[in-house]
Amino acid sequence: MVASYFLSDPSVLLSDLVFGLLLGCVLAVVAHGLNMIWGVVKVVNIAHGEFIMLGAYGAYFLNLYWGIGPLASAVFDAAIGFLVGYAFYYVFLHRELRGKETVSLQSEMVTLVATFGLSLVISTLALIIFSGNVVGIDYDPGTLLLGPVSVPLGGLYVAVVSILIISGTYLFLERTFIGAAIRAYSQDVTATELIGANPAKVASLATALGFAITMAGGALLTVFISVGINPLMGTLYAPISFVIVVMGGPGKMWGSLAGGLTLGIVFDVLQAVATPQIAFATGFLLLIPVLILRPEGILK
Amino acid sequence: MPAVEVSNLSKSFGGVQALRGVSLSLGESEVLGLIGPNGSGKSTLLNVIAGVQKPTSGTVKLGGRAISGMRPDAIVKLGVAKTYQIPKPFASMSVRENVAVAALYGRRLRSVGPALEEADRTLAIVGMGDRSDLAAGSLTAQEKKRLELAKAIATGAKVLLLDEVFAGLSSEELRDSIALFRKMHEELRFSALVVEHVMRAVLNVSEGVVVLEEGRVIAAGSPDQIVHDERVVQAYLGSKGVGT
Amino acid sequence: MKGRTPFTLYGLLAVMAALAAVASFSGVATTVLLVNLLVFAALAYSINFITGMTGYVSFGHVVFMAIGSYSLAVLVSTYSTSPFEGIALGALLGGLFALGIGAVTLRFRGVYFAIASLVLALAGYNLVLQFPQFGPGGELIFYIPFQPLTVFFAIWGIVVAEIVLTFFVNRGKVGLGIRAIKDEEDAAAAAGVNPMKLKLYVYMLSGLFAGAAGAVFAWSTFGVNASSAFDLTFSLQMLAMILIGGMGTSTGPLLGASIVYLLYYELLTYPRLQGGQFLVVGAAVIVIALFVPDGIVGIIRRKYPSLKPVIE
Ligand SMILES: Nc1ncnc2c1ncn2[C@@H]1O[C@H](COP(=O)(O)OP(=O)(O)OP(=O)(O)O)[C@@H](O)[C@H]1O
Ligand SMILES: [Mg+2]
Repeated sequence: MVASYFLSDPSVLLSDLVFGLLLGCVLAVVAHGLNMIWGVVKVVNIAHGEFIMLGAYGAYFLNLYWGIGPLASAVFDAAIGFLVGYAFYYVFLHRELRGKETVSLQSEMVTLVATFGLSLVISTLALIIFSGNVVGIDYDPGTLLLGPVSVPLGGLYVAVVSILIISGTYLFLERTFIGAAIRAYSQDVTATELIGANPAKVASLATALGFAITMAGGALLTVFISVGINPLMGTLYAPISFVIVVMGGPGKMWGSLAGGLTLGIVFDVLQAVATPQIAFATGFLLLIPVLILRPEGILK
Repeated sequence: MPAVEVSNLSKSFGGVQALRGVSLSLGESEVLGLIGPNGSGKSTLLNVIAGVQKPTSGTVKLGGRAISGMRPDAIVKLGVAKTYQIPKPFASMSVRENVAVAALYGRRLRSVGPALEEADRTLAIVGMGDRSDLAAGSLTAQEKKRLELAKAIATGAKVLLLDEVFAGLSSEELRDSIALFRKMHEELRFSALVVEHVMRAVLNVSEGVVVLEEGRVIAAGSPDQIVHDERVVQAYLGSKGVGT
Repeated sequence: MKGRTPFTLYGLLAVMAALAAVASFSGVATTVLLVNLLVFAALAYSINFITGMTGYVSFGHVVFMAIGSYSLAVLVSTYSTSPFEGIALGALLGGLFALGIGAVTLRFRGVYFAIASLVLALAGYNLVLQFPQFGPGGELIFYIPFQPLTVFFAIWGIVVAEIVLTFFVNRGKVGLGIRAIKDEEDAAAAAGVNPMKLKLYVYMLSGLFAGAAGAVFAWSTFGVNASSAFDLTFSLQMLAMILIGGMGTSTGPLLGASIVYLLYYELLTYPRLQGGQFLVVGAAVIVIALFVPDGIVGIIRRKYPSLKPVIE
């Protein structure tokens, strides 16, 4: 089966590979918000997937009622996500983090479990409000034919936006004063004060940015899953995001892209040569060797 | 035979070379002071001897037997215990239970009862008998340091690696602590490698002193020789001044 | 800690004896209710061994439950053995898998362990779907006589064993070492504790009992299917139970299991409240995790210190 796949028409293989790369870009941006929060605030939001889901529904409803496309919806989602992120920081994280230099294992456990609870609350509410039906957005700008290789334009747009978002956050962290404060916080909380910034403000801003990116990522994702928006989609995209962030290394902005592309290609190629189940199982299990061999992520 | 023999020990953290070929030997019942400027590798040396960190190269021998590369819990059971420069008490447990953990596992006792009794004895020795029922997390910084010492002793170790247990004491407290240390040493006859910034403590408890700078031993000798050593005065005392 | 009369143990065993009496002398409906309750309790004690005692959050704990469920389902449906052999196999495989998985994942601390365990559950789900031996869509159904009281005593025995073990582990040598690991793992090692060995030991117990409980669960529902066997909300329920009751304690899991079970299946199942139980449990987990992470037993311990010997 595997052999026959590789012996088949090379243009099919190339198209698959291109699709894998595009998928990788969108998975990267979906995980990127988590990466930001994990890298800076050192907390993992287990309800991450539910906020992706909310972002996807945001795009869906904006499209349903006002005909807005997913790319434009991402902007609305980001604005909402920003506010939600602030609220999240002050409800879930502030009590555990304020005045502490490092996140203790106890705080880590508390936030893990509390956000696990949050994921259940949000997905249940979503089931009640949105019903369990699977919906999608009808958005297809066509296909670009590059010789024998076909590139879906929607996916290409999304990939470009994803890369813009990731490089944008990179530049923001490297080139601006606020970015420097966020980097300082991620390395040493007290250092934040030394450069004259308030740690809680920095941490909440980073969390808000993370949420903005997460929800925007949910909107972008809808282009790829033309019929796949549902209240429980978070249970798939959260673990995918965890794997991507661990692979790339929490806090490394380009790590999201490295992890996303790796996973995108693994999913895509294994789905073609084996089964979707094998593809998912392998993609998830990839986390284990990465944790053993390169606990700081695949990027230097 | 020396109790602990360190030869050519190196340790690097990524690009940082914390230890660059350190050799020293610690005799039976000897107390050796280990001094050096901040970041010179003192804590790293203790961590590597105790197995808390793995050496990049070099060996540590305990009574002739190579122990470098072994797990820290195995090294404790062979009789080498360290204290943490920044104390790490088991915060939710009582002081007594903290020390009992060390006695129970360090001495390979079979059950909790005898470990608690051992803990009580140790706490009496270090003068913390009246603190035994408090939660370790609620102790003052000084008490936490002393608890570190109690845990190290309770393991039954014959070699103690003490990381700045005298730091931050007032003049009288320091005098009492030094007296206490001497008394314990007389009683238990352990060997000790004592990292210290406080010169008065180093000079008062140790028979010999080793000076580290940037991961190298730059001088070794009696306390008297060391305070008069040109290089030491320049490298270390010159930059920091002779502390109390 | 030593030589004290084990009031807690007596109390818990008295409660268990009372449950056995009720199950024996009342109708089938009550027995079924008690079976479900004790399956919950067995799972709660199981996750308590690892997450409650060491603080390592086992999000993917359903894996061990699923292993048990499939062990029993395959043996009973394919090889027509008795359910008890299924339970034994489930426990054995649960324990062995925990040893194998733990040898790798228990090296990861904090969130890394939690996420590794989560990812394993998802991989497990996808792998089960891959094998025809586990039925189409990972579903196996079997037809055996309905014997609620036999099922009851199977799960009852499992819970009693868990209670006794939890109690003695907690007050013995292992318990003291485990608490040290939970507080400061590195310092525990520097005091002579071998963290890996102790963590593996309790993880193995945890996997073993989750396997046994999962087997009984499959027995009581006459089958297993992949999407519910690997349903991560089960993990959350287990966490919720020990969190509400009190992590690591020997009373907490039974207390928490009773509360969560009653909330879930008995009080909040009116059609109008579809899904309402998830909201209540999710919200309870959030509030308790953030504000009273030591649960009911912790509250009692702080408010009424004199009750300590009875509840711990
Ligand atoms: N875990 C680590 N990772 C990276 N670098 C480290 C680590 N531990 C120590 N170092 C570096 O190794 C060098 C030696 O550190 P060490 O703590 O051993 O010094 P020290 O002599 O104990 O200093 P102090 O007097 O401040 O306690 C320093 O440059 C330090 O920054
Ligand atoms: Mg030091």
